[in-house]
Amino acid sequence: MSGLVTGLANATVNASTVLILAGLGELISERSGVLNLGVEGMMLVGALSGFVVTSITGSPWLGLCIGILAGGAMALLHAFLCVSLNSDQAVSGIMLTLLGVGLTTYFGNPWTGDSVSGFSEVTLPIIGSFLVEIPIIGSALFNSTPTDYIALLLIPVVWLFLYKTNIGLEMISVGEDPETADTMGIDVFKMRYLAVIIGGLFAGAAGAHLSLAFNQIWSSGMTAGNGWIAVALVIFARWEPGRILVGAYLFGLLNAIQLYSQGLKFTLAPETALSGLLNPMIEFVMNPTIMSTYPYIVTLLVLVITVVRAENRQLAQPSALVQSYSREID
Amino acid sequence: MSDDKFVRMENITKTFPGVVANDSVSMSVKKGEIHGLLGENGAGKSTLMKILYGLYSADEGDIWLDNNRLEMDSPQDAIDAGIGMVHQHFKLIPRLSVSKNIILGKREPIAAFKDNSGSESGVLHSLTSNNIVQGLASRFTLGLDTPEKQIQQLSDNYGFNIDVTVPVWELGVGERQRVEILKALYRDVDLLILDEPTAVLTPTQAERLFETLKTLTDEGLTVIIITHKLDEIKEVTDRVTVLRDGRDIGTVETSEQTSDDLARMMVGREVLFNVDKDDVSVGETVLNVSSLRTTNDRGIEAVSGVDMSIRSGEIVGLAGVSGNGQKELAESLVGVRETLGGSIEITGDDVTNESPNAFINNGVSFVPEDRHRDGCAGTLSIMHNAVMKRYADSEFSDGFKLNYEAMEEYADTLVEEFDVRGIKNVREINAGELSGGNLQKLILAREMLREPDLLVANQPTRGVDVGAIEFIRERLVAQRKSGTGVLLLSEDLDELFDLSDRILTIYQGEIVHETTPEEADRQRISLEMNGGKEEVKQPTQIAADGGRSGF
Amino acid sequence: MKLNVELTPRSNIPTWMAYGTPVFTILAALIVSGFALFSLGVNPLAAYNIMFVQTLTTSFGITNTLVKAVPLIFAGLAVYLPLKARLWNIGAEGQLIIGAIVGTAVGLSVSLPIYALLPLMFVTGGIAGAMWIAVPAWLRARYGINEIITTLLFVFIAQSLLNYVVRGPLQAAESNFPQSASLPTAATLPSIPIIGFPSGVLLAIVLVAVTYAIINYTRLGYEITFMGANDNAAEHAGMSKLKIYLIALMAGGAMAGFAGISEISGVEGRLRASFDPGYGFTAVPIALLGRNGAFRVLLAALFFAVLFIGGSSIETSLGVPSAITNVMEALIILFLITAEFFKNYRVGLSLDQTPTPSAPGDPEGDV
Repeated sequence: MSGLVTGLANATVNASTVLILAGLGELISERSGVLNLGVEGMMLVGALSGFVVTSITGSPWLGLCIGILAGGAMALLHAFLCVSLNSDQAVSGIMLTLLGVGLTTYFGNPWTGDSVSGFSEVTLPIIGSFLVEIPIIGSALFNSTPTDYIALLLIPVVWLFLYKTNIGLEMISVGEDPETADTMGIDVFKMRYLAVIIGGLFAGAAGAHLSLAFNQIWSSGMTAGNGWIAVALVIFARWEPGRILVGAYLFGLLNAIQLYSQGLKFTLAPETALSGLLNPMIEFVMNPTIMSTYPYIVTLLVLVITVVRAENRQLAQPSALVQSYSREID
Repeated sequence: MSDDKFVRMENITKTFPGVVANDSVSMSVKKGEIHGLLGENGAGKSTLMKILYGLYSADEGDIWLDNNRLEMDSPQDAIDAGIGMVHQHFKLIPRLSVSKNIILGKREPIAAFKDNSGSESGVLHSLTSNNIVQGLASRFTLGLDTPEKQIQQLSDNYGFNIDVTVPVWELGVGERQRVEILKALYRDVDLLILDEPTAVLTPTQAERLFETLKTLTDEGLTVIIITHKLDEIKEVTDRVTVLRDGRDIGTVETSEQTSDDLARMMVGREVLFNVDKDDVSVGETVLNVSSLRTTNDRGIEAVSGVDMSIRSGEIVGLAGVSGNGQKELAESLVGVRETLGGSIEITGDDVTNESPNAFINNGVSFVPEDRHRDGCAGTLSIMHNAVMKRYADSEFSDGFKLNYEAMEEYADTLVEEFDVRGIKNVREINAGELSGGNLQKLILAREMLREPDLLVANQPTRGVDVGAIEFIRERLVAQRKSGTGVLLLSEDLDELFDLSDRILTIYQGEIVHETTPEEADRQRISLEMNGGKEEVKQPTQIAADGGRSGF
Repeated sequence: MKLNVELTPRSNIPTWMAYGTPVFTILAALIVSGFALFSLGVNPLAAYNIMFVQTLTTSFGITNTLVKAVPLIFAGLAVYLPLKARLWNIGAEGQLIIGAIVGTAVGLSVSLPIYALLPLMFVTGGIAGAMWIAVPAWLRARYGINEIITTLLFVFIAQSLLNYVVRGPLQAAESNFPQSASLPTAATLPSIPIIGFPSGVLLAIVLVAVTYAIINYTRLGYEITFMGANDNAAEHAGMSKLKIYLIALMAGGAMAGFAGISEISGVEGRLRASFDPGYGFTAVPIALLGRNGAFRVLLAALFFAVLFIGGSSIETSLGVPSAITNVMEALIILFLITAEFFKNYRVGLSLDQTPTPSAPGDPEGDV
């Protein structure tokens, strides 16, 4: 049983890093008012370029850097289309996902199925050997790849960035009310460009993590919808960095459970009341494929509840999200 | 000569396509005074102040502040020059705290890096005052603690009674306005401009505001307050400049004027148009409104207990300054705005809070104030727009199908009868391509040729060329003759006098005055529109030139 | 000295731009993709020759194109119709999958002769598609919740449902594979005799004509168009936003459902876990290209069908990964949205001495 729990913990933490990285990036972009549906495409581009560079140079760190930059480059295009040209943000994002999928499948063909020696799991210096001993979560959290650690570190960093820096404050204001921000002398375009590009950098990192740490192979479409889950995650987290961590673990757990579904069968004994009716229902609810829908269903509920309840009080989402801004005065 | 010219705007001219907003306007303000800027809608007050605040640039003219000539391209320049503005629509971000709203854009670093040029010396100081370090610190830190204390201090000093750490969405309107004032004060402005500040305040809140303003000016701040409310001008200003039709009429000492005098200065205009109005016998009641109450888009009560009735064959004019509830009243009379209380009856049927469709089917037509937003679909053809309210009629639809030939013919009829110019094909030209006057004529045609029982027309001649204005007015009169009851909302008093059988005046959501053109006193109406009370006339010292000379 | 980019909004679009845009965007996409082909050592012209010319001149190519076009036409309509009301049905893929599932279930469990079974499958597939979009449609109509995100989330739920269904309730009895039983002949869309074209094409064309008729000749079409052009004015005119949004979106959902069942019934023959056609997403550029009319949607769908079939051809004959068609698809969207910008604004470049912003401001209102 404890083996199962440790296994689950391990799988959860492993699955969560991608979501944390991509989710944080999307959060920043959306906080500034720009929806980025191209995360999946940017992740793929980051994954492939990171993989290729590492294959050629043998350095996973170089691969990671290039992967990050590749994601950022795609995001630059998204920023140009959405911020400068005021194009429809959703269409631009989907286009970039298509582009990312297409380009990486096309150019990644020669490397399909190859593996690379990327990041291996390490423990932290000095305190690492003690932390690993912590029951259950020790080996999950403290015996991880560098990108896993980076992801965890980025949560407080992003939090500090948004809430404790002037740039973060301006970015938030631009996503709430660009007109007011403009009046206060803030460069709305610059802030949005910055936010979107950061989002792309993070997405690239998430992708590179997949191909260099999590799986260490390349195959087309290997992001497997994680980019979309990241978008859902941001809504679930109600645009707060701390909750990204919670959501990532939750979604990661749901993911992990699918792997361990055999060990988790749960049935009521036949004598229990209504067991005939309840057992099939329980089986359905705990079916791993069905469980994979839970992140999306939960996200939908969160979205509906926050918007319906918001009315005039607690503000649900960044008020200017998905609305393009152009200076109508002068 | 210069002690009363702290702020000088000289010969400011600003033109927009089709209208001269400011025509060589000059205005000067003394240091430490509360200076009022008075005028009807369209007089040019807002434009003038937007120029002063850097939002617009004047085509001609100069601005001087404390004998320095100002060149301003943006609000930031104005702030740098020491000019602050409190807008009618607050520029606040509800999610952020008061203090964050106030420091937004200033990029102050945390205290450790603050450039306190004092007697600091040594390595640490030279390190932190380095440009690059300053740049990084101002971006990547957030100096909130010290400013927050300063802002709280400022707020307490002026008795604002605000906790500056709370998010703005928790604050009420009066408090939010004070936050806007704090914003300006924190930036150490010398001149504060307020745009219709009491539009959103209760009388008590307004009193508090005036006390605050007086305290501020005692401490050396100069204030310009834009308003249309005569009682406010009388209460709080030292001097007032009156604008009319884009020109300045003069600057006078408030204490030496009565409300009547001010109203006269605002209004005195020649009657431009004369429309022939036959005597029409008035028929049945088409509209009966009782105790109507509605809120505006921000949830504040805009119509506060209106009673009125309109009968077939009469034009009832509604005089009032924009923002006193007339828009909301018009919208509830056509079913587009929900009511809080009271009732609306159209030709005897109670339609209170029914859908717009019910109103339309009951014979109500509407010419909205914003023709592009509410009156037409600009990207669709003339034909589509012509049948906007009649497409379900048996004339045009047969079951599910639409008879486009009939629709096209109908559109042609509208275009011809109402002289909508420049249309070769009603199917090919889009409504958005029409000029203001032509579009308005089209909308009017559509609304009038339905033969409505009640026609509500909100500013039907605004932004329309002279030829079209005349046409529209004639049509309104013709509609009256054919038996429609018309509610005409207009900011143009001449128009109301010309066309109406009765004139109502609305102020702060209530009907405060009713009269007929024959009995009416133009100045009295202007007075009522602006909240003034009739005063006993006293001999006053008004120079023949309206008070211009003398400084 | 400063480089000034001046943007003046256009009041009307020059005719050459209005008609030429689809052509220009496609050309631009082909040129850029040409570089990608070139980088793999492939002669772009040779590739395009195989992709387009050969596909359209061989009967094999034409038949395959039509087969591919059927679901694309349906899916294109699924996005086009809501788009008329300015609604984005990004979740067409999900509605497509649900339509496929329900239609297949009906085809496997109901015994009827083909002329009754097929219509039944289509009707149930369509209803299923409409039901799948019903919740997002309601949320948008009633609460204004952005339909892009909600319909998208439902896509992923649908994909998981598919996975569940082929491993569970619908799994073929004898098989261990994640797939359903094969649809009986009575449930399979036949080919048209002699010509050999898929019969689904007929239904697709009929639906295009019906959509065209609805939009251009009926009251509902008028309301949808008006609501999409200006929802404020539409409400002033007495139109019901709730009703129109629901109808437009659910009709789109039904179309997507048709796409799904037509693909299973006419091509796949059974429901597989790997059923991931992507037509619902390709439908977005199709609807954008065909924005101005249902028949243009038909043309756009045909174009993309040629693109996909051609893509497979060059994969077989030249070894070029067929993913190049995804790249082209993306490029077409990219150039379309850039063109959208140029249609709305005239761009002027000038060198300026002093940057003085002028005010094209609106003098109406408080002056």
